[in-house]
Amino acid sequence: MIVRYEPWGAWVKLEREPALVALDRAGVRALGLEGGRTWTAPPRPSPPLEVHLAVTSRCAAGCEGCYLDARPDGVDPPRETLEAALDALARAGVFTVAFGGGEPTLREDLGELAHAARRRGITPVVTTSGLGLNASRREALRAFAQVNVSYDGASEAYEAVRGFDGASHAEAAIHALAEAGIAVGVNVVLVRGTFDRLAATLRRARELGAREAQLLRYKPAGRARGLDYLARRLSAAQVARLPAVLRAVSAEHEGALRIRIDCALVPFLSSDEELASRPEDLARWGVFGCEAGAALGAARVDGRLAPCSFAEPSAAKVEDLGRAWRDDRALAPFREYVERPPEPCASCTLSAVCRGGCKVVSAHLSPRTGGFAPDPECPRVRAHAAREEA
Amino acid sequence: MSDDRRASPSPAHVRALRLGHGANCSSVGSVIDTLFVSAAIGGAVFAAVCAAMKDEPVRVVGEEADEPPPSEEDR
Repeated sequence: MIVRYEPWGAWVKLEREPALVALDRAGVRALGLEGGRTWTAPPRPSPPLEVHLAVTSRCAAGCEGCYLDARPDGVDPPRETLEAALDALARAGVFTVAFGGGEPTLREDLGELAHAARRRGITPVVTTSGLGLNASRREALRAFAQVNVSYDGASEAYEAVRGFDGASHAEAAIHALAEAGIAVGVNVVLVRGTFDRLAATLRRARELGAREAQLLRYKPAGRARGLDYLARRLSAAQVARLPAVLRAVSAEHEGALRIRIDCALVPFLSSDEELASRPEDLARWGVFGCEAGAALGAARVDGRLAPCSFAEPSAAKVEDLGRAWRDDRALAPFREYVERPPEPCASCTLSAVCRGGCKVVSAHLSPRTGGFAPDPECPRVRAHAAREEA
Repeated sequence: MSDDRRASPSPAHVRALRLGHGANCSSVGSVIDTLFVSAAIGGAVFAAVCAAMKDEPVRVVGEEADEPPPSEEDR
């Protein structure tokens, strides 16, 4: 297992049965370990646990909502540049690197990059569209701890999210990966037109062999920043139903298909009285809200560091991760905002978990705030705004 | 470090537990289905994870990675 000391104890990454555990100091001492300087020196910002590394900006899929505006004529950073980035991640103590793009499988050296991460003690995972996933590309994915295929549902649902029907390719990829014994999950983007088909989408993904489904909020970044964002995002009624839907799909797939939600969906749990009444359970089960610039970091295809894959990058480069994460003034506000959020977040029971909602959505809908304002799509924030206006 | 100095930490010392890897490249994901399991099942998961920590070999990463292990006097 891998241990990274923190001022409060340590993060422990278990490898046989993959899990990440935050242990307090007494728990760390039970393991015969002591936190050294990290426990005695003044606390400093911790490096990210997970970094999303764009390994290409090439992609031929042309998804309408691509958050990076990837294109067929995008660029591939040289292998040496990416290995230098992996060196920086290893020095900082990052546990997981998620390769993305663009379409990562277009790189001939993708499997070698995964091995390069493993040699440095970092767990590599990857997201792919599954388009063009032939046998040799599929074998290159064997080096990854998990592969997620973007799959928003059967043909019409897929097309509603991405603007073309690539569902059959994604389904073939999920099935082929599962048949090959490669751990495979699906990423499902939730938009207004497909939300009601989520249950069917998850059933299909499970039939195909997926063992995990990550549900993603649609975010206004890249090509998704257009005017149709407002028409594509979940409706307020769908947001209100989300906790009940999560309960239903969790019960249906218990033990067979693990259900994850992304950081940006966490504020949507605030409308659920039962969940909002037990924030300590959410924290203890490791639910992460906006960890941009904190537990999560991203490196763009040009190497610039960003608080997350959707947020604007800073001038700092990933090769300088250790110093930049502590000192870069573009990253710090993401951490500082969550220390003192305004109302209605300040009095929200889920505030410490949610961490103010998605700053990218806030920045898009309230540009003057730079994103450092309550997430305007959160049901609690909507209700607060309605009361203020009345 | 010899294993005889290691014990399983108590689940009470676990501040947070995140299961699995996740493999999304654009946002951080959290397992949500565990929020809806019974307390007994949840407790068993925490106990199993704590037990596993006693057996796996340890590697320290990050700023402390290059420091020598603490001596008995430092403990």
